[in-house]
Amino acid sequence: MVKASSSGLSSDLAGGADTIVARATPPGRGALALIRVSGPRAAACAAQVCPDLSFDIGWRATLTKLRDAGGEPLERAVATAFPGPRSYTGEDMLEVTIHGSPFLVEAVIESFVAAGARPAEAGEFTRRAVANGKLDLVQAEAIRDLVAADTAWQHRNARQQLAGALSAQFERLRAALVTLLAAIEGSLDYEAQGVAVPAGERKARLEECRSQLTALLATAGAGERLREGLRLVILGPPNAGKSTLFNYLCGAERAIVSSHPGTTRDLVEAELNVGGVPIVVQDTAGLRTEGNEIEREAHRRAQAAAAQADLAVVLWAGDAGEETAAPEVPEGLPAIRVRSKTDLVPASIVADGWLGISCHSGEGLEEFRCELLRLVLGEVPDLGGAVAIAARHRRALEVAAAELESCNVESPDTAAENVRWALRAVDELIGEVVTDDVLDEIYSSFCIGK
Amino acid sequence: MSKVDVVVVGAGHAGCEAAASAARMGASVALVTLDRRTVALMPCNPAIGGIGKGHLVAEIDALGGLQGWAADRAGIQFKILNRSRGPAVWGPRAQCDKAVYQRSIRRVVERLRGVTLIEAEVEGLVIEAGRARGVIFAGGVRLGAGAVVLTTGTFLGGLLHTGENQRPGGRLDEQPSTALGQALAAAGLELRRFKTGTPPRLDRTSIDFNRLEEQAGDLAPRPFSWRTRAVRNQCVCWVTRTPPSVQALINDNRHRSPLLSGAIEGIGPRYCPSIEDKVVRFPHHEQHTVFLEPEGLASDSIYVNGLSTSLPADVQEAVVHMVPGLERATFLRHGYAVEYDVVAPLQVGRNLECSLVPGLFLAGQLLGTSGYEEAAGLGLLAGINATGALRGEAPFIPAREDAYLGVLVDDVCGRDHREPYRMFTSRAEHRLVLGVDTARERLMDHGRRLGLVREAAFHVEHERWCRRRGAREALEAGRLTPTVATRKEVFEKAGIELSAPTTWATILRRQDVDAESVAASIENLSDLDAEDRRIVIGSLRYDGYLARQERERERLHRLRHISIPVDFDASTVSGLSREVVEALGRDRPRTLADAERVPGMTPAAMAILAGRLGRRGRAG
Repeated sequence: MVKASSSGLSSDLAGGADTIVARATPPGRGALALIRVSGPRAAACAAQVCPDLSFDIGWRATLTKLRDAGGEPLERAVATAFPGPRSYTGEDMLEVTIHGSPFLVEAVIESFVAAGARPAEAGEFTRRAVANGKLDLVQAEAIRDLVAADTAWQHRNARQQLAGALSAQFERLRAALVTLLAAIEGSLDYEAQGVAVPAGERKARLEECRSQLTALLATAGAGERLREGLRLVILGPPNAGKSTLFNYLCGAERAIVSSHPGTTRDLVEAELNVGGVPIVVQDTAGLRTEGNEIEREAHRRAQAAAAQADLAVVLWAGDAGEETAAPEVPEGLPAIRVRSKTDLVPASIVADGWLGISCHSGEGLEEFRCELLRLVLGEVPDLGGAVAIAARHRRALEVAAAELESCNVESPDTAAENVRWALRAVDELIGEVVTDDVLDEIYSSFCIGK
Repeated sequence: MSKVDVVVVGAGHAGCEAAASAARMGASVALVTLDRRTVALMPCNPAIGGIGKGHLVAEIDALGGLQGWAADRAGIQFKILNRSRGPAVWGPRAQCDKAVYQRSIRRVVERLRGVTLIEAEVEGLVIEAGRARGVIFAGGVRLGAGAVVLTTGTFLGGLLHTGENQRPGGRLDEQPSTALGQALAAAGLELRRFKTGTPPRLDRTSIDFNRLEEQAGDLAPRPFSWRTRAVRNQCVCWVTRTPPSVQALINDNRHRSPLLSGAIEGIGPRYCPSIEDKVVRFPHHEQHTVFLEPEGLASDSIYVNGLSTSLPADVQEAVVHMVPGLERATFLRHGYAVEYDVVAPLQVGRNLECSLVPGLFLAGQLLGTSGYEEAAGLGLLAGINATGALRGEAPFIPAREDAYLGVLVDDVCGRDHREPYRMFTSRAEHRLVLGVDTARERLMDHGRRLGLVREAAFHVEHERWCRRRGAREALEAGRLTPTVATRKEVFEKAGIELSAPTTWATILRRQDVDAESVAASIENLSDLDAEDRRIVIGSLRYDGYLARQERERERLHRLRHISIPVDFDASTVSGLSREVVEALGRDRPRTLADAERVPGMTPAAMAILAGRLGRRGRAG
């Protein structure tokens, strides 16, 4: 059994960075499995494990024989060489496709390890691609999102991010910050040379940075919904049938259903795909304030869940007496109002604006699905081609925005400080600034020197 | 072979500071110059200081250096640049009488105990067992020394250009050193070619000043040095502008400009371009500002700041005669460019010692800087470290976050700069804590420790900043509650209605309060002198920023304690890009703090390095 070392950063082989090997397909049994090798010894590994393959003929799938450390034939496989830098990682790479038996995968990886590779850590191929400039950090995150995408919406966003749309926006913001800093520094270092950057120009450049930041941050909410899913919460008085509806939506007995009010105490969550949009459905405890301590706590959690939700389904049992008031819909939260258990009561009881359903008879469920789809699609933000940012991006951009908020271009000495910190935050996203960048910018845009 | 502790070759701004600091530390010093009359010569502009440069002068002064003190004696017009900006970026500058400046410095180095001024040409180095052990004069006489400091300015391989004319020279009418450059190359040092230039000098009596705008100094001129009590303004400068017709004239003569025709190969400073450079690079600028600066009270020479040029003499004259006020100006000297050899960066440690030739220290233009102040700063440090090395003491290397001198050595020695290096405040990441006002507080203790500043002088200054700190704390601590009496007091002094408890510090930070005049009436501040009061008020302005810079300094100090072993091979670290590996191999940073400044370094690469070196540190 081959085990990954605890930290690849510390392992080194004489003569350069080491060579890594890993299975790219999911673990378990399958028709095929793909194994990747990357690093300076990839060609040497190929020479030992698949000696018939000519590594220099790259980017061509070739049927070849794999051998183990003792030179015994292991498997017939399709191998493709990717001589660097035209490879995913930018290093020499080899990919072999073999039959998907766990034993065979293990044996082939061991052959590569015997030939000088070591097992890769999670994400190490992509990390190398970033280190070698094949991808930037933001694109690398897109790779992660792309692999994790469950819905068309997530897939489209990740694809655009991978294509560099978001990186380009960050670079544009960084360039605007460098220009702003150059204008501020220009007004500090060159007074004697008769260079004057009008305060109006500094202000305009600051506004440009601020508006770019605002536009980027505006996609943050969408980004979080996109990556984590819209939060749909099921609310209603005890015993309104919330868990029954939850189970219906999930298509499984996920929540415990009973006719006793207050059966559900914890929040129960499930992920759904509604019309290509990821949804996290939350079942909650009934909305009632009396009861024992546990129930009160459950109630408090239900309210907190409602506060964070993007959508709600509010249930009101059809068999509840007329004397019970209709449950309230939290203000500002888009919701479908549903009267449940219509199999127990005449349909006439369903008032205007309420949808009557019965999870037992199936009555009204089709309409409910349509209504849910309409509501979900209505909540999908229209990004107009923009890429929604992720939480890491939002945190960095919020730091930058806060710096620019307290940046007063009338006091260039302190304003420069704010912009430097804003730049540093943006650099955490993509790269690094050295003062030379700013000087270059100054030299290319002003005439300096007396 | 006679012997001294330190021999300094070249008596310009770097050489004089090096000789003085070494002698003050107790070393016997030989200061060698080609010509006694050129000691501390100001061959270009007649001014000391400015933005960034004035900061260096203040730090040199805090370490007992000569430059600020001499500029106070020679100064004929004092001005603080950037006055309308925050105090951290105020740049004191003085127009100087060049002759007085030279005389002041020459007297010091001639009379300083331990310094011998020698008029001779140095043609080679005595190298024994790989170490510099002295110099060889023209004619073959040798002078032994424990350490050699080279501060030869633009003299190595110097080549002067005026139009199509080229002649060897270190400066106008002065011979270059060719043999010494060859000796350096023979010792294995890689040389690089830089270029700089100077404008024409005009006869004061031929200029029509009536139509020109005057520029006067500050009404309350302030000296550079803690050793100077007062200075005064004795002259004005004038401003004029080149007319648009200059552009066409220069364009017509492009082929005769050595700079534009390609005859000059050396790299010049972008921040100090010649007029032909400005016209070509900024064709949309119709006018270029020209400052007329006197070179001395007793001299008729006027320095034409802004018209640096290496155009042929007849074109220079035609250009100058187009400028309002200069129609009938007569030339005392034409402008010219000089190309010279510098020692390529990264061959010298931050203690200014050559890695290839221990015992050999370099400073000034020879290291690729430009400017009197940069030269003096490096010279001072070279003198300190050459003397310290003889005694086996640890080198004195100020950190970037502690001084502009630290930024200077770090940039000049630690980075591959490709043009003459000039100081700017934007180069200092910790600009807000590095104001001129705080230079003594930051550095004078080092000066005292090294023997460059007398104890008594240090204690006078020390008391001053203790008083300032005390006043500052009192302003923050004393609470003003809105009683009848305090409301009245605050209203009378600051003109504001006190409605909630506050402190004087908070009130002085307000935009609508004239802090300077209010401060004069506040109990805790009124017993400080105006200067200290102003510094205290200035520090209030930077409050939040200072706390943050303090945290950043602490972070850097931590990184500075993680050293990178000499045999460290970045190519064995996985996860680093090829670019970073190459840059680390080239720049050879010594600590993680240095590594952070390697071009192309990324936060991710820093994290990987920190992980690797941190682990190694624990294991070892």
